[in-house]
Amino acid sequence: MKRAQRSDLFGQAMTWLCGGALAFNLLLVIGIMGLLAWYGLGYFWQKDLVQLRMKDGTRVLGEVWEIEQVVESPGQPALDRMRLKIANRDVGGLDFAWINAVDVASRSLPADAVLLERLEWGNFHGTMEELRDGDKVLARGPGPVWKALHELHAKKAKQREQVEDLEKGEIGDVNYAIEKLRLDRRALDFEELPAAEKARRGAALDRELAEREAAYQQLADRLFQLREKLDQGTLVMRSVDGQTKEMPVAMVVRAIRPNAMNAFEKTGLYLSRGWEFIAADPRESNTEGGIFPAIFGTVMMVFIMSFAVAPLGVLAALYLREYARQGLLVRMVRIAVNNLAGVPSIVFGMFGLGFFVYLIGGSIDRLFYPESLPTPTFGTGGILWASLTLALLTVPVVIVAAEEGLAAVPRIVREGSLALGATKFETIWRVVIPAAAPGILTGMILAMARAAGEVAPLMIVGMVKLAPSLPIDGRAPFVHFERKFMHLGFHIFDVGFQSPNVEATTPLVFATALLLIVVVTVMNIVAILLRNHLRRKYAGSAV
Amino acid sequence: MSPVPPQTARKRLIADRAARWVVSAGGLAIIVSILGILVFILAEVWPLMAKARVRAVREIPLPGPPAGALVSDEHRTHVAALAADGHVRIVRLRDGKPVADLDLGTGPLTGMKLPAGRPVLTGATRDGRVVLAPVSFEVTFEGQSQVVTPAVKDPILLELDPQARPLGAFAAQVDEEGSATAAAQLADGSLAVVRRSSQENPMTGEVTESVQRFEAHVPGRLTSLVLDAAQTALYGGTARGEILWWPLAEGQPGPVRAASAGPSAITALDLLIGGRSLVVGQENGALSIWLQIREHEDEEVFRLTRVRDFPRLKQAVRQIAPSERGKGFLALGDDGRLGLYYSTSHRTLWTGDAPVRQGTGLFYTPKTDGVYLAGEGRLAELDVFNPHPEVTWSTLFGKVWYEGYAEPAWVWQSSSGSDDFEPKLSLTPLLVGTLKGTFYSLLLAIPFGVLGAMYTSQFMHPSYKRVLKPMVEIMASLPSVVLGFLAGLWLAPRIEKAMPALALMPVILPILILIAGFLWNRVIPRAVRGRFRAGTEAVLFVFVLAFGMWLCFRLSGPFENLAFGGSFQTWLGEATGLAYDQRNAVVVGLAMGFAVIPIIFAIAEDAFSNVPPNLVAGSLALGADRWQTVTRVVLPTASPGIFSAVMIGFGRAVGETMIVLMATGNTPILDWNPFNGFRTLSANIAVEIPEAPHGSTLYRTLFLAGLLLFVVTFLINTIAELVRQRLRERYSQL
Repeated sequence: MKRAQRSDLFGQAMTWLCGGALAFNLLLVIGIMGLLAWYGLGYFWQKDLVQLRMKDGTRVLGEVWEIEQVVESPGQPALDRMRLKIANRDVGGLDFAWINAVDVASRSLPADAVLLERLEWGNFHGTMEELRDGDKVLARGPGPVWKALHELHAKKAKQREQVEDLEKGEIGDVNYAIEKLRLDRRALDFEELPAAEKARRGAALDRELAEREAAYQQLADRLFQLREKLDQGTLVMRSVDGQTKEMPVAMVVRAIRPNAMNAFEKTGLYLSRGWEFIAADPRESNTEGGIFPAIFGTVMMVFIMSFAVAPLGVLAALYLREYARQGLLVRMVRIAVNNLAGVPSIVFGMFGLGFFVYLIGGSIDRLFYPESLPTPTFGTGGILWASLTLALLTVPVVIVAAEEGLAAVPRIVREGSLALGATKFETIWRVVIPAAAPGILTGMILAMARAAGEVAPLMIVGMVKLAPSLPIDGRAPFVHFERKFMHLGFHIFDVGFQSPNVEATTPLVFATALLLIVVVTVMNIVAILLRNHLRRKYAGSAV
Repeated sequence: MSPVPPQTARKRLIADRAARWVVSAGGLAIIVSILGILVFILAEVWPLMAKARVRAVREIPLPGPPAGALVSDEHRTHVAALAADGHVRIVRLRDGKPVADLDLGTGPLTGMKLPAGRPVLTGATRDGRVVLAPVSFEVTFEGQSQVVTPAVKDPILLELDPQARPLGAFAAQVDEEGSATAAAQLADGSLAVVRRSSQENPMTGEVTESVQRFEAHVPGRLTSLVLDAAQTALYGGTARGEILWWPLAEGQPGPVRAASAGPSAITALDLLIGGRSLVVGQENGALSIWLQIREHEDEEVFRLTRVRDFPRLKQAVRQIAPSERGKGFLALGDDGRLGLYYSTSHRTLWTGDAPVRQGTGLFYTPKTDGVYLAGEGRLAELDVFNPHPEVTWSTLFGKVWYEGYAEPAWVWQSSSGSDDFEPKLSLTPLLVGTLKGTFYSLLLAIPFGVLGAMYTSQFMHPSYKRVLKPMVEIMASLPSVVLGFLAGLWLAPRIEKAMPALALMPVILPILILIAGFLWNRVIPRAVRGRFRAGTEAVLFVFVLAFGMWLCFRLSGPFENLAFGGSFQTWLGEATGLAYDQRNAVVVGLAMGFAVIPIIFAIAEDAFSNVPPNLVAGSLALGADRWQTVTRVVLPTASPGIFSAVMIGFGRAVGETMIVLMATGNTPILDWNPFNGFRTLSANIAVEIPEAPHGSTLYRTLFLAGLLLFVVTFLINTIAELVRQRLRERYSQL
C-alpha cells in the first residue's frame, strides 16, 4: 500500500513536470508575442523629455529608454543606471548616453523642451531660440518661435512636397526616357540593318535624346530654384548644454513639446506616427521613416507567387488524387512532394539563383536585352524570380492541402454526380472542386503566410536594402518584373544587423517584426479556421 | 418500354478526355519539375568531380637552337621563347609565323628560365652575367576585336662573376618597379647574389639605380636555384638531394638553412604562386611539395617541411611550370611524360605523353587553359580544361595542410583580397557547426516538445486541445527572421549579462512546478479543483514559470558572485579556457529550439493521441494508474511516432538559416564550446553565394553544401514519414 502511494506521488510529480513543459512552451509563445507587442507598439509612444542636472553641473535632456541595475564591483550594492536617448547626433555624435542615477542632482520636465524629428541626423532635443526667414527674424524665444513655426512649417511641407513630386514625377519620367533612348541607341548597333537605315535611325534617336536632355536641364533648373526656396527659413535651436544649432525649417518633419502634451494629444501623435510608419518611405538608409516599400514589395511578391502556385498546386493535386492510379509509385511521389516542404528554404533559394537567375534570366538577357549587357536585366535577382522561387518552395504546401481537400469530398457526392450522367471531368469541375475549395484556399493561405515570412531564399534571388523604385509605377510597361524589391523580413535582417546605428534602430525593427508577425499570424488563423470549418462540414459524411 | 440507350454527347466526352490528358500531363510535369530541383543541383555540382582534359592542339616550327624559357599572353596569341643562342623569338600562334627575332647581345646562354609569376625571360651567359628580358603583351582594341602586340623591353644585365666565368645554376627575378635580383653558383662553387634596386623619385620622376653584390658559401654543387617573386628568399637544390634556403634582405643572403629530400639529386625546383609552396623534383622521379612552417608559434623561425608527395615519375623530373592562378603546376619527366598537378587538393589531374619528347621549355598559360612545350625545333600547344582542380572529397571533408599552417587542419576560408590566396574549402567546420546548432536546439526542443505533447494528449481535457493545437501551429509559422532578430538583438545581450540565471533555471523551475503542483493537488480542496477540467493546472504553471524566471534573473547577480566570483565570463575563461561570444550556441539553441518545438510537438501529439484507446483502457482496468499507463503502454506504442517527430525536428534545425545567420557570429570555427559562435552550411550558403561568381569552384562547392542539406533533410523526412505510416498501419490493426 505504501509503495503504491509512493509510486502514485512519483507519477503525479512527473505529470506536473510534463505540465510544466507544456506551460513553458505556452510561456514562450506568449512571451514572444508580448515582447514584440510591447516594444513594437511602444515605439510610437512619445515619452517625456527629462532634463537631468548632474552633480558636476552639466545637464542632459532626453528620453529614458531603459533602467538597469549594475554591480560595479563584486560585493557592492547594485546601482541604477539609465539609458537616455539624448539625440542631437549632429552636435554630440552619439544618440544615447548612460547615466548613473547617483550622479543626478535633480530632474525636471521643462514644458518648453522641444523634440524635432528631422529628415537628416535623427532627432533633436532642445529649446527653440530663433526663427528666421532669410535675414528677417520672425520670432525669438521659445514661446514665440513655437507659435510662429507652425505656419512656416506648413508652408515648407508643401514646398517639400512640390520638390518631391517634381523629382519623382517629371524628372523621373525624363530620366527613364533618357535611359531607354540610350539603350535603344545601343540596341541599334546589334541590329542587322543597311548602313543608311542605321544612320537614319541613329540620328533620329540622337535628336530625341538631345531634346530629352534639354528638357531634363530645364527641369533640373526648376528643381534647383525650388530647392533654394525650400532652404530659406532657418530655425535656431539651443541644445541643453548651451550649443546653438541652425537648421533649415524644411528639414523638420515634426516639432513637438512632449512634456506639454496631454494623453489625448499623445494618442493623436501615436496614431499619426503609426500611419507614417506604414505609409511613408524610409529615411536615413532605412533607420527612420516608414516601411511602405517593404510592405508593398512583400505583398506584390506574395501575389505573384500566388498566381504561380495556385494552378500548379491544384493541377498536381488533381492529378495525384483524381487521375493517377493509386499505387506504390503515387504513394512514393506523394511522400516526396510532402517532404519537399521540409527541405531547407535556402536550398530553394540556391536553386532559384542557379536556375531562374543565371540560366533563364541569363538567356532572356542574351536574347532580348543584349543592349544593356553586361549590366543584367533579368539575369540578376528580381521580384519575378523571387516569387517563382517562393512558389516552388510553397507548392508542396498547396498540393498537400488541396489533396486533403479533395480527399475530404465524400464519395456519395461524386457518385451522385456520376450517376446523373456527368463525366468525370464535369464531376470534378462542378462538384469536387467547389466542395474542396476551402481546402485549396487553406493551402493557399498557408503558402502565402509562409512566403511572407521567408527571408533566406530571397536574400539570394532579389532583395535589396533600399530599392530606388517600386516594382509597379506609372511608366510603361507599368509592372517591372525584373526590379529588385524590398521585403519586410529582409528589412528586419538588414536594419537590425547591418545598419551602422543598431541601438537607435532596434525599436523600428521591433515595429516591423510586429507587423510581419501580425500579418503572418492573421493569415494562419484564417487558414486554420477555414480548415476547421471544412473538417466539421465533412466530419460526418467522410468516406 | 425499351431502355433508352445510354449516350453522352461527343463534345462532353472529348472534353472529359482532354481534361484527363491535360491534368495528367500537367500534374506529372509539375511533379517531375519539382523533383527536377534535385537534378539541377546535381548538374551544378557534377563538374566539380570531372577529370581534367588535356589535348594537344597544334605544333608549329620553332627555328633556332632549343628554347629553354617560354612565355605567352593570357589570350594565347603569341609565344616568346628564349633560346640558347641568346635570341628571343616571338611566334604568332594563329598561323605559326615568327613575328620577331631579337638578339639580346649576350652570346650563347648556359641556362634559361622563366621566374615564377613574371613574364620575364632570364638567362645565364658564358661570361658570368645574367640577362633579364621582360616581355610585354599590349592589348589594344580595334573596333570589337582585340589586338595583342608583343614586345621585349630593354634587357637588364647583371654581372655575377667579375672574372667572367660560365655560371652554374642560376635564378633571377625582377619586380614591376625594375628592381632585380639574380643569384648563381660561380665556377668556384660559391654563391653570388646581385641586386639592382631602382627607385623613382616621386617628385622629379628621376630613377636612381644602385647595384650591390653579395657572396655566400654553398655546401656542394647546386643543381637548381629559384627566387621568390618578392625577392626575399632564395632556394637551391643540390646534387645530394638537399634543399638550401637563404632569406634575402635587400639582396643580402642571411644564414643558410637546409633540409634533406633524400639522397637523389634535385633536378627541378620552383615556387607556386604566392611563393610559399616549393615544388621539388628529383633525379629518381620524386615530386614533393614543401612549405615553410613556423617552428614555434611566436617566433619568426621557419623550417622547410615536406607536406605532400605526388606519385613518382618514372624518370627524373626535368621541368616544373607553376600556374599563375591557384596552386597548380606542370611537371615534365625525362621520359617525356607530362603531368598536371594541384598542390592544395593533392590531386594528380592528368598525366600523359608530351607531344615533344625532349622538351626543353615548358609554360603553363596565365589562365591555366593551355600548355606550351618547346623542344626538337618545335613548339607544341596543348589545351587544358580543368576548371575545378582545387576540390576533392578529401579537401572537402578531410584535413589539409595549407600554406602558412603549422599542421593539417579543417578550414573554411573561401576568399581574400589577394590573388595568390589559397582557397580553403573544407566543409567539415560547417558540418560541425550545423550539428552543433542542431544539437543545442534539440536539447531544448525534444524534452519540451515531447513532454508537452504527452501532457496535452494524455492528461488534459480534450477541449483544451482545440485551443492548443492552433496555437502550436501559429508558433510553427512564426517567421524565423523574427526569431533570429529577437535572439540576436534582444536575447543575446541579456543572456550575456545573466548567464547564471540560465544555469539556475533547470534547478529552480522544476522545484517551483513541483511545489505548485503539490499545492494545487493537496491544499486546494477537491471541491474547488473539481470545477476545473483536467489540465487546467498548466495555466497555473505558466504563471509559476513566469515568476520562476523573474526569480532566476533576480538571483542571477548574487549567484554569480557566489559561484563564479562575480563574473561568469571571467570564470569561464579561467576555469575552462573557453571563450565567451555574445552570439553563441546557447542563444541559437534557445531560438532554434523554439522554432523546432512546435514541429516536434505537433507530430508527437498526433502519435500519442492516436494510440488506440482500448490499450489505455486495458491498462487502466488492470489497475495501473495514469502515469504507469502512459509510461509503460502509451509511450512504447507511440515511440516510433516520437522518433519521427524528432527526425523531422532535426531536419528543420539542420536547414534553418535566418536564426543561425542572425544569432551566431558566423565564424567558421570548429569546436563544441557552447559559448562560441559557429557557421552552419545553410548560413554559409546565404553569406557566400551572392559573392560567388557563377560557375566558379566556390559556387559549385556551395551547391554541394546545398545538395548535402537537400539529401540529408529529404532522407530524414522520408524515413520519418515511412515510420509514421507504418505506425498508422499498426494502430489500425491493434
